[in-house]
Amino acid sequence: MKKLIEIEGLTKSFDDTLVLKSINLYIRENEFITLLGPSGCGKTTLLRILAGFESKDAGIVKFDGNIIDDIPPHERPINTVFQKYALFPHLDVYNNIAFGLKLKKMPKDDIEKAVKEALKLVKLEGFESRNVKTLSGGQQQRVAIARAVVNKPRLLLLDEPLAALDLKLRQDMQYELKEMQRALGITFVFVTHDQEEALTMSDTVVVMNQGEILQIGTPQDIYNEPKNKFIASFIGESNIIPGIMLKDYLVKFEGYEFECVDKGFDDNAEIEVVLRPEDIELKPVNGGINGVVTDIIFKGVHYEIIVDVNGREYIIHSTDPQLVGNKVSLSFDKEDIHVMLR
Amino acid sequence: MKSLRRLIYPYIAWLTVLIIIPFLFIVLATISTFHIFNSYTFRFTFDSLRFLTDPIFLNAFKNSIKFAGITTVICLAVGYPVAYFFANIKSKNKTLYVALLIVPIWSNMIVRIIAWENVFKPVSILNLFNLSFDMIGSDIAIIIAMVSMYLPFMIFPIYAVLDKMDHGYIEASRDLGANSFQSFYKVTLPLSLGGIVSGIIMTLLPAMTAFALPERIGGGTTILLGNLIEKEIFRGSFSTAATVSFVVMIVMLGFFMLIVRFDKEGETLL
Ligand SMILES: Nc1ncnc2c1ncn2[C@@H]1O[C@H](COP(=O)(O)OP(=O)(O)OP(=O)(O)O)[C@@H](O)[C@H]1O
Ligand SMILES: [Mg+2]
Repeated sequence: MKKLIEIEGLTKSFDDTLVLKSINLYIRENEFITLLGPSGCGKTTLLRILAGFESKDAGIVKFDGNIIDDIPPHERPINTVFQKYALFPHLDVYNNIAFGLKLKKMPKDDIEKAVKEALKLVKLEGFESRNVKTLSGGQQQRVAIARAVVNKPRLLLLDEPLAALDLKLRQDMQYELKEMQRALGITFVFVTHDQEEALTMSDTVVVMNQGEILQIGTPQDIYNEPKNKFIASFIGESNIIPGIMLKDYLVKFEGYEFECVDKGFDDNAEIEVVLRPEDIELKPVNGGINGVVTDIIFKGVHYEIIVDVNGREYIIHSTDPQLVGNKVSLSFDKEDIHVMLR
Repeated sequence: MKSLRRLIYPYIAWLTVLIIIPFLFIVLATISTFHIFNSYTFRFTFDSLRFLTDPIFLNAFKNSIKFAGITTVICLAVGYPVAYFFANIKSKNKTLYVALLIVPIWSNMIVRIIAWENVFKPVSILNLFNLSFDMIGSDIAIIIAMVSMYLPFMIFPIYAVLDKMDHGYIEASRDLGANSFQSFYKVTLPLSLGGIVSGIIMTLLPAMTAFALPERIGGGTTILLGNLIEKEIFRGSFSTAATVSFVVMIVMLGFFMLIVRFDKEGETLL
């Protein structure tokens, strides 16, 4: 599909601190792309450069194949859901949402219809005449979403748009946003701290840290084949064990050799193995990796079981409980062994 | 909390002695023949209210409204851009620049009035530069002097609002398609309305009751309400002076209610 945004070598610093370090990224038309990374890694800065609020120090940013450096924010077909909402305090909910449409001189009846639809999308029907200062944080956040999407931009930037919502509402909104993106063909750049949200909503996940892109891939890629320890630990809990890649398809860790599906490393390369907690099964003691259950915590859907293997703690998610002190053996399929460079 | 409440007693005493009691005297003087040096003819009467239809009062009232109004309009037109400019300074020395705006208020007002008086006299130090004005008593001279006196009082409340305003609102409007003019007119201006109203009142009220300035620069021929009050007192007509003061107070109260309406949080009141 066509590339909507192309970013090459994008660099930005604030008073001598490099905030974005030569970012390369393209965003395809109608793609749902998520920026995932810890606080302060430069996600908001990247969005602000796309929206036109921040200058860049070096690099190229193209929209539809054209460099957009000289296009002011109001002429870019881009809308933003701001991390801090920035709802206009002197306008009520209706006029906040209608702000962009009025500037486009849309007929009044159409504006009314569009605002109503947008309010329905964010589940705030009947809130038209409410003063935005009297809304709860989550309600304000939803008005901010409505105010941006109502303009049906080519590119929608969402800076942690669901952070203030409770789990149920967040899941509903995730679904609604995803539906809207499909139905309207809008390209989404979505920022979140929440890895689960990133994995469930996105076509592409971009993992960032300290101003750098660490990995770009589908949610499956990122989850199953994290490129390094940082990504593995950022994308959900996991067990990371040092080991050696003896040769293609054969890895050694915890003193045992295992068949695996990874290849392309140097023979005897020092690597790390990622084992997801839900991929490990606990069996009665046998010849493999053995350990002792040291703790068990009920987590709702599953139990989180901590197993001590010669001083290394493994986290295992299982629907079957264990007794503390039980001697167990860890078992996993060869597809569940994910190898990454140390 | 309760023990802290005692700390406001001195203020209450001050308020009672210097504000409330004199105010009651003004009310009393308005509705009676009250005179401090002449108490034996005391009786209640509304005679002095008739002064409000006297051409002398009407002329002073008209002058006060005219000069205060024109001054306020000019101060707003000049002051808003200045406040906007200073609020948007990015430099680390911002506070210093803003302090430069306050400095004129610190110098004594009478000194500044006399300085202007000298500028507008035919014979002045300006003759050294081959300049000479003869403007004492002219409207222009009074307005120039008033604007220079009251401009900081317009700039400050507006600056205070603009300086505190979250830049995020402007970005949001730009994001939604507003160019910089639309963004100013649809977001910045309405959000600074509280500051504008405060600025107008901070300029209008002192300008309306100005006394020394029209006295010196008006050359004794242009009479404002403040001058009228003085004249009436010297004439020994306490009641008419009190009546004029009372009118001024009512007008001020009206304006104050206006501030409170526009600026519920009181953030712009200096
Ligand atoms: N205007 C600025 N001046 C100076 N430093 C800034 C400015 N804006 C951002 N930074 C710095 O740039 C870095 C990246 O900030 P950014 O807001 O992009 O992070 P983020 O990834 O959005 O974080 P979060 O998830 O907490 O929102 C931070 O270290 C921040 O302190
Ligand atoms: Mg951010």
